[in-house]
Parts: sequence; structure tokens; C-alpha cells
Amino acid sequence: MSTKKKRIKRFTVTQRLFHTLLMLSFMLLGATGLSRLYVNTGWGKWLAGLFGGYESALVVHKYAGFFMICGFIIHALYLLTKINWNNFPKSIVGPDSLIPRGKDITDFFSHIGWFIGFRELPRFDRWGYWEKFDYWAVFWGMLVIGVTGMMMAFPLVATQYMPGWGLNVALWVHRIEAFLAMGHIFIIHFFIAHLRRHNFPMDRTMFEGSADLEAVKSEKPSWIDRLKSNGELEGVLVSDAGLQQKAAFFVFGHAMVAVGLFLLIGALVNWHSISW
Amino acid sequence: MKRNNKICTLILTGLLLAAGFLSLPGTTLAQEEVASSIMRYKQYEVSTGYYEEYEAKPQGQRPFVDIPGVRKGIFPYSQTAAGVRNPSRLADSHQGIKFYNRRRCEDCHVEQTKDLHMVRANLTCRQCHGKEPIASINHYFSPMNPIRRHAYVCSKCHEGASASYAGYVIHEPNPSLAGTLQTFPVLFYAFWIMIAITVGTFVVFLPHTILWGLRELLFRKGDTHK
Repeated sequence: MSTKKKRIKRFTVTQRLFHTLLMLSFMLLGATGLSRLYVNTGWGKWLAGLFGGYESALVVHKYAGFFMICGFIIHALYLLTKINWNNFPKSIVGPDSLIPRGKDITDFFSHIGWFIGFRELPRFDRWGYWEKFDYWAVFWGMLVIGVTGMMMAFPLVATQYMPGWGLNVALWVHRIEAFLAMGHIFIIHFFIAHLRRHNFPMDRTMFEGSADLEAVKSEKPSWIDRLKSNGELEGVLVSDAGLQQKAAFFVFGHAMVAVGLFLLIGALVNWHSISW
Repeated sequence: MKRNNKICTLILTGLLLAAGFLSLPGTTLAQEEVASSIMRYKQYEVSTGYYEEYEAKPQGQRPFVDIPGVRKGIFPYSQTAAGVRNPSRLADSHQGIKFYNRRRCEDCHVEQTKDLHMVRANLTCRQCHGKEPIASINHYFSPMNPIRRHAYVCSKCHEGASASYAGYVIHEPNPSLAGTLQTFPVLFYAFWIMIAITVGTFVVFLPHTILWGLRELLFRKGDTHK
């Protein structure tokens, strides 16, 4: 084994691009959406001011939303091209797939057992149950928030196919889904990717495309064993990124965390004065 | 090269999708300036758009009207009771209210001042409900009558508003309250289902994340033991 290649390939360029574009549109949507919901607070007014005020924040919100929906549709098409249709549906299940399986449920409980010292750390494969949850939560979330958002962005078209009171429902579903998404990303996803001790100060995997081999060996031993027994491990080892690249990932990742925490804290401390 | 081709295909698909979105009708902004005041309205409205031609009688006029707790004869028939007993059909919906001219709308209609049109768009009651006497919503000639509300009221700001569009519930009840189960059940269920999903997610994953953080804080990387 080459001594230089200490990292294991985990994401392709396209997948990293999807994640980066999703991050940027998510932050923009979160900031513009919150600026409108909180517009009667000083914090909300300031936030809306960044986008030119209450009305233009909505314009930015809508176009960022179209951008995100375009990304979602492209991602769905990308998934269709990645599926091995000759062996469908067997090809989309298994340890390399993000489709949940029975082991994820037992892993979840064993993992909690490990947290409190009752069990050994479960031998995770390529995707942990929390990673699958993150993926599918965003997938379903974008469907819900995208459809309700489109209904409100084009209310005249939408009410040709449903009664006007559907817009009342759409707004509430959109709001609650937005809080669920932001809460999950800004608290849980950020903590797991950045702040827990084994990843602190940052897990670069999603930006660099590769993960530290030693860390993966201890966290996802099943995956490494599988690769070894298939003789595929050597093929997926890569060398580390340059210092400049690492610095860029670090700055970008932490900037996003900072924006997320700013939105989270602002939203929580001003919670009592929202005019729904 | 193969990877470049793939990325090009993705970017091209993205541009096509973006073009598709841009070709959709414009997003609606209240009070936007347009060259013609009825152009878009005609575009969407299925009727002729000329409401003066048929001042239709609203549906649902019940000939048999009971006074609750009082029974007169076998059939509680009244030609006029429908109008008198149902305050949503009066020419002046506030008729008979004492000291009416000294009162403000929000003295009685408190809940109706708390929705988006009031709080966010800063509308006043009169901008939609009109001047005195304010006719009941279902009075034949009221501009608020659902048969013409979209054309006479909503489209003052929302150009192109259709009858279906005007079905948006302006004075939306608080979706969390039990009373909403009667007045707007779909909103009530949608709200509580979404709240249940949100609360459920945090109830499971917040303690999960905290415990995970504590475990890693206390034990080194690679320690897989109990």
C-alpha cells in the first residue's frame, strides 16, 4: 500500500457539486424565508435589508427556490442514470445503497447502546443510518417544501387545479417543514459533521470527496472489510488534498456553520415576537 | 473526458429546466404595475368577466328557517326569516347594533385583525369590505359575495384572481386550536401532522446527538468497546 494514499474515495465530483449547490441555495432560502417571517422584529428587518427589503427578499427566495428545484430534478435524473437497470430492483439494495434496510434499525439501537456503554460500537458499512436519514429527510423535505412553495409562487395557476384554501394549507406546511429542515441541519447535521470530538473541527469528506482511512476503519469497519475481501480497497485509495484546498474547505465549511448558527440563534431568541 | 461529458449534460439539463421555469407565468406580486388592468384577468377567468349581466341569486337559501328552541307549526316556513335570521344575507350586516357609529371594527372582530393581510400587507378592513353600510358576505349585491368577490375585491390587488383563487381563507383560524377542527379541518390536520413529524424527529435525534457527543467526548477515536 502506498504510504501517500491515506484517504478513501467516498464522493464523486458530481455528488460534491450537488451538495455544495444545495448548501448555498438552502442558506439563501433559509435567510430570505426567516427575514420575511421575522420581519416585525429588528433582527428580521436587518436580515430582510440584506436582500433589499421585505418584497425583494421574496423575489430572491423564489428564484433560489427555482434553483433548488432544478437541482432536485437534475439529482433525480442523475439517480435514474446511476441505477443498474439490468439487475433492477436487486441492484438498488445492499450495503452500497442508500436505501434503508433492516440492519439500519438494529444499528440505530446498538449505536445508542454504545453511547450509554451497554454495547460495543456496531460495525457500520458504507452508509450509517444517520447518513441515510439525512439523505432521505432532505429528499422528502425538498418535495414537500418545493411543491408547497411552487403553489404559493404561482397561486393563480395552482388554484386552477385546487381550491384557494389549499394555499392556506400550503403556507403552514411550508413553514413547519422549513423549521424542521433548518433545525435538523443547523443542530444535528452540523454537530455530527463538525462538532463531535471524532470529527472536530470539521469532516472534510463531502468537500474533498475522500475520508481519512484510519477514521473510516474505526467508524465503518464493515465497509473496509468488504472492500478488502473483494480486493477493491487499493483502487479507492487516494492522496490527501493540498494545503490550500484544505484551507478553502475549512473556511467555506465554517462560514456555512456560522451562517446556520446565526440564523438558528436569531430565530430562537426572536421566537416570541413572530407575527404568524 | 467522460466525466466532462456527464457534467456538461447535467449543466445543459439544468439550463433547460431553468428556461422552463422562466417561461412559466410571472410570479404574483401584490400591487405590481401592469399595462392593462383586465388583461390577465380575462386570461384566467372562465366566465365572461362581465358580472353586471347576471346578478345571480346566491345558492343555499333555505326556505325553512328555525329559531333555535322555538317551534311554530309543523313547517318553520318563512319567506323573510332566511334574511333576518341569517346575518350573512343582510344589506347592512350591522343593522340594529347599538352605538354602531361609535365603534371600531376591531372592537368586535378581534380575530379578524390578526391575519397576514392585516399584519403583513397592512390592509384596513374597509379596503376589502367597503364603506357603510357594509353588506353581508352573502347579500345578493355585495361585492364580497363569493360569486363576484374575486373580480370585485381580490383582483384589486391580485390581478387575474379567479373564483377558486378567492377561496383562500383570508381570516385564517389559528391552525393549532381545537375549534379549527370544525372550521378548517384540513388546515388543522396538516398543521398537527407536520408538527408531529417535526417534534418526532427532534425527540429522537436531539437526545441521540447529545449522547453521541458525550460518548465521543469521553472516549478516544477507535475505542469501540462498551
